[in-house]
Amino acid sequence: MRIPAIAISLAVSASVWAEEPAIGYVKNVMGVATISTGGQTAAAEPGTAVHLGSVLRTGSKSSMGVTFRDETIMSFGPDTELTVDEYLYAPAQGKLKLGSKLAKGSLNYVSGVIAKLQPDAVSIKTPGGTIGIRGTQFVVKIEDEE
Amino acid sequence: MNTLGKLSFVVVVFVMALSGCASKPKSYAVLLESPDGSTGRIVVKGSRGEQVVSTARHGVPLDGSSAPAPVDDARFAKDFREAMAARPVLPEHFLLYFESGGTELTPESAGMLDKIIETAGKRSAVDMSVIGHTDTLGKADMNEALGLKRAIAAAELLKKKGLNAHALTIESHGERNLLVKTPDETPEPRNRRVEISIR
Repeated sequence: MRIPAIAISLAVSASVWAEEPAIGYVKNVMGVATISTGGQTAAAEPGTAVHLGSVLRTGSKSSMGVTFRDETIMSFGPDTELTVDEYLYAPAQGKLKLGSKLAKGSLNYVSGVIAKLQPDAVSIKTPGGTIGIRGTQFVVKIEDEE
Repeated sequence: MNTLGKLSFVVVVFVMALSGCASKPKSYAVLLESPDGSTGRIVVKGSRGEQVVSTARHGVPLDGSSAPAPVDDARFAKDFREAMAARPVLPEHFLLYFESGGTELTPESAGMLDKIIETAGKRSAVDMSVIGHTDTLGKADMNEALGLKRAIAAAELLKKKGLNAHALTIESHGERNLLVKTPDETPEPRNRRVEISIR
């Protein structure tokens, strides 16, 4: 009976002492999805933290929804890979930035506070081109051949 | 080349162009109406040009090669059904107001605590931020501290009443993030607040 207690205390200390604060959390997963941060890959489930630099992936016939601290919402269809390259959310200091890279798959994006306060601070890079976002919702699909 | 030859050449080129489109769909983005009913813009910069989309349900290829155009319903549904269905519940916000100079909630705001807890309780893996603010009365560094005290007071009240959150952050913006812009040293009840974001 001691083992679960140890496991719980380790989990708590890991979250308390994590070097970087979470920038968002997974809210829903269908099928298989993972979050990779600093070389460590974990299965994604509701509550899994997303950090700066995290790579978010979904498998075939899978999907995942993530809500960021500034209320930006991203949800992914099957076979998708997105990396969060830049994330700054300190409205009182005027520090705002959200830069990500969609390597493949499909994404539904809803603007959060960062895009509302500083429209040119949000961009998504793709293999084909870069999308700048001026406070809105949109979807994007990456096709294989590019 | 005789007329027939020219014609068949044109037909072949036309068929190639068509089949090229069909077998090699391009990566693309489609602008949608925001959940609040407004429509913003996206700007797509690619190797073959730059396009601005400002009409909902219009799409552009990511290489920027052609102007925004309406997107075929069947293709839209096939490409985006899963990503759109996975969209998490939209965040909700509450504002709690305080009596001047301290951490006591106004009676109206104290009455909202149960509603906040109920809202958070309906979500899976709910994460929240509790951000304290002050008006411009007093020194900036004192207000920084007062904003934090207000945020802590609000979070503790919520926890005492049974709030169960997966993650909760507490911070202060002091007098740096006014809801109602005022000169310095101005008492303003609407600026003495704690903002709660439920995600």
